[in-house]
Amino acid sequence: MNAAPLARRPLGCLKASLRQTRQQRMLIRHMATEAVQAESQTTTPRPPPQHDFFSLKDRKTKTLRTAFAVYPTTTAAGSSLAPPPVNVIQSLHEAQIKKMDPTGARTALFAKTREAAKPGDVLMVTHRRGGEPFAGVCMSIRRRGVDTAVLLRNHLGKIGVEMWFKVYNKNVAGIEIVKRRAKRARRARLTYLRKPKHDVGSVEDLVFAWKRSRKVFSSGKPAAGAAKAKGAAAKK
Amino acid sequence: MAPRLPARCWRQLLVQPTSLSPTTPSTLPRASASASASASPSSPSVRLLSYTQSRAVKSGWSTLPSRAKPHRFNQITSGLPAPTAGPAAALKRKEHSTPVRAGVLAVKKGMTVFMGRTGARIPCTVLQLDRVQTVLNKTRQKHGYWAVQVGMGERAAPNVTAPLLGYYEAKGIAPKEVLAEFRVRNEKGLLPVGVQLLPDWFHIGQRVDVRSNSRGQGFAGGMKRHGFAGQEASHGNSLNHRTIGTTGPSQGSGSRVLPGKKMPGRMGNQRVTVQNLPVLMVDNELGIVVVKGCVAGPKGAVVKIQDAVKKEPPSQEWIDKTMKALEERFPDAEAHLQAARERHLELKEARREKRIAELMAEGMKPSEADADAIEEIIAAAAKEDAGERAPAAF
Repeated sequence: MNAAPLARRPLGCLKASLRQTRQQRMLIRHMATEAVQAESQTTTPRPPPQHDFFSLKDRKTKTLRTAFAVYPTTTAAGSSLAPPPVNVIQSLHEAQIKKMDPTGARTALFAKTREAAKPGDVLMVTHRRGGEPFAGVCMSIRRRGVDTAVLLRNHLGKIGVEMWFKVYNKNVAGIEIVKRRAKRARRARLTYLRKPKHDVGSVEDLVFAWKRSRKVFSSGKPAAGAAKAKGAAAKK
Repeated sequence: MAPRLPARCWRQLLVQPTSLSPTTPSTLPRASASASASASPSSPSVRLLSYTQSRAVKSGWSTLPSRAKPHRFNQITSGLPAPTAGPAAALKRKEHSTPVRAGVLAVKKGMTVFMGRTGARIPCTVLQLDRVQTVLNKTRQKHGYWAVQVGMGERAAPNVTAPLLGYYEAKGIAPKEVLAEFRVRNEKGLLPVGVQLLPDWFHIGQRVDVRSNSRGQGFAGGMKRHGFAGQEASHGNSLNHRTIGTTGPSQGSGSRVLPGKKMPGRMGNQRVTVQNLPVLMVDNELGIVVVKGCVAGPKGAVVKIQDAVKKEPPSQEWIDKTMKALEERFPDAEAHLQAARERHLELKEARREKRIAELMAEGMKPSEADADAIEEIIAAAAKEDAGERAPAAF
């Protein structure tokens, strides 16, 4: 061990050796900080939360191996946790239908009742934004709550045209039954109407005849007569 | 400045403290605090060593190269630029793309539409939150990043493994069906543990990112999986109408298939993120968040909803409001967690010492509040009893 430098400059190396301690001076806890920390530790004692035990048994000996506390779902952080309702989509549909169809006329028109419209009937849909009403044979009714829709088929200028209408949409001002099918269709979806053999063709004549008959009954007031038409009118 | 001396020189100071006894105790911390400093000079000197900088590896090992070890001279404080790689730099780099708040877990219930007053029709997806609770806060200090672990649903205890049972025991919450983690930007995004997150965590009109696993398609061919064109139906083609064709060049290019070559294989059941979906509706009673558009996966899929990364985070007022609501709804979440932790330690000790059967036999001691409530019920019952008897007597 070489002690010669120490003999020459006994305090020369102190600065280097104490540098770390100088840096650590920031971390020294003073009495004041001690006092502050002591004050902050004032937690109110709380009884342990209620829980059950779940025990795990040894497979061979069938004796208790260990057990764990299992907390009930009702005491999570001091409030109850209930599972949410199951059929939310249905309740969403009901709420929206109530909003979009306060009178229930649209719902009644496509309900599964005797009086309701069925596939095979000739329906006429009036648009809210004007334009010519679209009439056609109802090919199918797609029941999806507030998204319920009907598919109508007609011929415009010898070309088959099919259109979907959302029953609860505000753009659909009204749906009226022009002509009921004589006999109930034995299919839910009358896709066979697309085949030339079964195609009904244009329903223009039926609509024309229906309009004329309504004029006769309504004593020349088509606007008032339309609202009281015998076919289930689904005016807003 | 005095020349620096190697350790072997000044180490002698430590073994000969008598010569420097007037200076060392006053200049050094801790030594002055300990009363035994003057009585036994060797012991504080030895402790002093640990506070001084070590210049050589004394014990343990490190995978860092010698120049990378933290020294006075390779710190930012010595004028070096901040490193562009490493955990701190990575967090800084990802800061802008990390959401400010934690998200929630939900179950996809299905799709429906929103009918507007003016005839608009918006397809939407209904996501339901089933008892979503915060389970753990992950911190930069302990885990290397900030995140909130969130659980959803309920799982029966027999279907939970022992380690997880202990985990939930320490948290004081019932075992959850699903656990997931949501990275947050900094410690401001951390939440109290055990609180329930309700749909009003989001507000209507806000944009969210929704993550879920897509429907699994099973083993699919190249045409379906990657949109390959397939091969022609005729012109001499034989039994190769939907095959993928060649998988690469031949000799000269290595005669090998390059890594990542698109081939037939498992398709779907991968995580899909749909970004920036607007929230159309939130309902605490139904527990639902309705978002515009579609979300990957079948009905019943577990989805993660979090504030959109590519949009501005919700306003500070909204964040404050939701945090305040949490505090109001669950004022004693912290106390509950603390009590559960203490109970957990007690049970853990008992398990180690094989005393758990005793504790189970002992059962839970009913708290004072419960005892009071029970007494009240008994008193009320007695009163009713007396009230019933009175008219009967007359």
